Amino acid sequence: MSKDDILATMQAAIEKPRNAYLDQWVAEGRKVMGYYCSYIPEELFSAAGLLPYRLRGAGSDSSAEGDAYMSARVCTFVRHTISLALRGELDFLDGVVLAQNCDHIRRAGDLFRKKVRPSFYGFLSIPRAPKERVFDWYLAELRRLKAELEAHYSRAITSQSLEEAIALHNATRERIARLYELRKRESPPVTGREALTVTVAAHVMPRARFNELMDDLLADLEQAKGNGGYRARVIVTGGVMDEPEYLATVEKQGALSVAELVCFGQRSFGNPIESGPGDPLERIARQRFFQVPCARMVECFDDQVSELMRRMKEYRADGIIFQRMKFCDPWAGDGHNLYWRMKEAGIPFLSLDREYQVAAAGQVKTRVQAFMEQMGK
Amino acid sequence: MAILGRERKADWEVVYEGVNGLMDLYADDPDSKGMNAILKGFREYVHDLFGAADEGRPIVWHNCGCSPELIKGLEGVQSMPIEVLTVLQDLVGDSRYVMALIDEAEAHGLASEVCSIDKAAVGSVLGGLYPEPTCMLYHNTPCDSQVAAIKTTAALTGKPMRLMDVPYLYGDREVEYLARQMAEGIPFLEEHTGRKFSWDRFRQVCQESNRTAEYLRDWNDLRRHTPCPQVSKIVALCTALLVAFSGDPEGTAIARAFRDEARERIERGESAVEGGEKYRAVWYQDPLWWDLQFYDWMESELKLVIPMDLFGYYAPEALIDTSTPESMLRGLARKSLSVLPMSRQFKGPIDNFVDDYLKMCHEYAADFGIFAGHVACKHALGGIGLFREASREAGVPLLYFEFDMFDPRVTPAETIQAEIANFIEVVVKPQKELSGAARS
Ligand code: SF4
Ligand code: SF4
Repeated sequence: MSKDDILATMQAAIEKPRNAYLDQWVAEGRKVMGYYCSYIPEELFSAAGLLPYRLRGAGSDSSAEGDAYMSARVCTFVRHTISLALRGELDFLDGVVLAQNCDHIRRAGDLFRKKVRPSFYGFLSIPRAPKERVFDWYLAELRRLKAELEAHYSRAITSQSLEEAIALHNATRERIARLYELRKRESPPVTGREALTVTVAAHVMPRARFNELMDDLLADLEQAKGNGGYRARVIVTGGVMDEPEYLATVEKQGALSVAELVCFGQRSFGNPIESGPGDPLERIARQRFFQVPCARMVECFDDQVSELMRRMKEYRADGIIFQRMKFCDPWAGDGHNLYWRMKEAGIPFLSLDREYQVAAAGQVKTRVQAFMEQMGK
Repeated sequence: MAILGRERKADWEVVYEGVNGLMDLYADDPDSKGMNAILKGFREYVHDLFGAADEGRPIVWHNCGCSPELIKGLEGVQSMPIEVLTVLQDLVGDSRYVMALIDEAEAHGLASEVCSIDKAAVGSVLGGLYPEPTCMLYHNTPCDSQVAAIKTTAALTGKPMRLMDVPYLYGDREVEYLARQMAEGIPFLEEHTGRKFSWDRFRQVCQESNRTAEYLRDWNDLRRHTPCPQVSKIVALCTALLVAFSGDPEGTAIARAFRDEARERIERGESAVEGGEKYRAVWYQDPLWWDLQFYDWMESELKLVIPMDLFGYYAPEALIDTSTPESMLRGLARKSLSVLPMSRQFKGPIDNFVDDYLKMCHEYAADFGIFAGHVACKHALGGIGLFREASREAGVPLLYFEFDMFDPRVTPAETIQAEIANFIEVVVKPQKELSGAARS
């Protein structure tokens, strides 16, 4: 398959809650497990024979059902996902595993438990400081979840199945890393919109099939000429971002996104999980717990900043576009703090608030254009 | 007005003057025992804070999700809740000062949807209104907005910060986890304050904390009395008392005054509402801080009393067992997880939030509930549908509106007054008449 065909396939896979690969998985009698956040390890689901499916609101044309349960001051990403669930459009999910990622998702958890009532409901209490001193709590939470999955699905999650899951997901990590590596080129062979399509697709497709598609895609991209017709290179950061069309609007103004440090971007995958020896679940936990921290985490802001700085250098970016879902508090704090850190460092920084599923239009164009001016591009 | 003989920033002087002015006003009023005690407590607090700053003693900041006993276990260290100035500004000062702090934080780039008390705390830091901390001890409760605030205060001051990770649930495992973090946090506090933690001192602090708790429990019981003996607005103050004064004799004195005032008024057969109460409501979610006289208005105009609210509800679940260092840490952890108002109800699953409400409605014989939806509490507003369903099932009429507890610009008092008056007229009154008729 060519690059265009593969991207079209992935695009089709992320437009709606369901996709052909997922349907096939279900048709084969296999089960799907929904989750919101990268602190919930997909490897555990794969090891249990479940398809990990990251919850999104794509294809939701109304948040009415969510609005009936949540005030309009809850972020629209959450209200759309819960609306899909309440409308039965996520009924292919056999279960969900949630966490107290943020107050909005915490309440979505209550709605899943009390209203959607999937066959399996799991909840992880994830510490809010990525520190060794609380790692054992996180690991214990994963062990508890593992036991609950085993009991519910009457299936042992063995060391071997965990090792296989690690290999499967590491293969994805390695491919995503290669994709991002190509974006460091002077003329990157993919746009931000395309790269985000790929990383989002990884979250909603069976991994083995995704990895195969990636092999073809990378083979094509490695030979591709790339696009040099941009005026500035930017890193897009912030919270949830699974809407490639939003990036398309940014990029149409000449600001090429060369790396997305967002939920659903490469940040969600991270570096490969170390191979043995030792307990595979502990290795999974370590990789997930000490991933590039997101805004919900405390006592790690310097790490978040250094990661951003490192990427700025590696991707030779001219500036940072920070995007945040309206009403999101975790990213409100980080948005403020990042702005001042970047200002001190002399790095151009644009902050955009947005709503989910609202086509980025006029205001984004104007703000990005002004940002380009500010960067002298 | 000078504080401890020195000029201070206007925000503090206004507050200090307000405290003193109100104390003069209510000094001889036997029915203002509780109010006087809290005013006196805060005046002492202002002295302690500036005294520590003037003497160069270490100051440790904490947030409203963090009960300060652990910090008070260090000799000569002053604890300071980052919300304290705002609370005082609304209580006795002038809410225009709060609004200015909110605006300052927003102008500095903090999103408007962050809680007004957190924005005001950030505004206070930006304005250099707080004495510098040697370090900060924070809990990740009650909400995300607090997390945004604590990250921001750490970024702005560059001072060392330690998080006590408060987990999702409330059981023994969670207590052990939090207690362990508290134990591990002691060397952090010692290192950055340069002061020794004393277990004996900590024991005294915990014993004092228990004394306060016992008075609050009695006080909670007395407020169940019909008619409610004591004014509504006092319940809103209980959390401020706990956050600032837990472990402090001043806290016990305030709690005792709350209790004594309620008891004496019952003995004298007095009601909070002149002419007799007609309606009782549980006020849930956040109090209306920017105008405590709003509660007086409800009493005089609507004959409506609030016997209890979420901030005043002292869940009688645990006293701190002071027999060993471990038991004290466990006790403090349990208090943080499941007793301290807000932290108790706002974290975790929605069930705790709803169950406490229904329990309060039952225990305080409420005719209805008022869900005063502070706009920043997304955990609460995110659960409003389930909350409504549970209220309906329990047969408790519920009035819901959105407002901002520290910023009168979001929903003006007149709008809220009209909402409450209308709800009573249309829903509560007919229902009461109906049940009265059915009984007779
Ligand atoms: S965008 Fe913010 S509020 Fe919305 S789900 Fe993510 S962290 Fe929560
Ligand atoms: S009032 Fe609500 S939003 Fe504000 S700090 Fe408290 S819990 Fe958080």
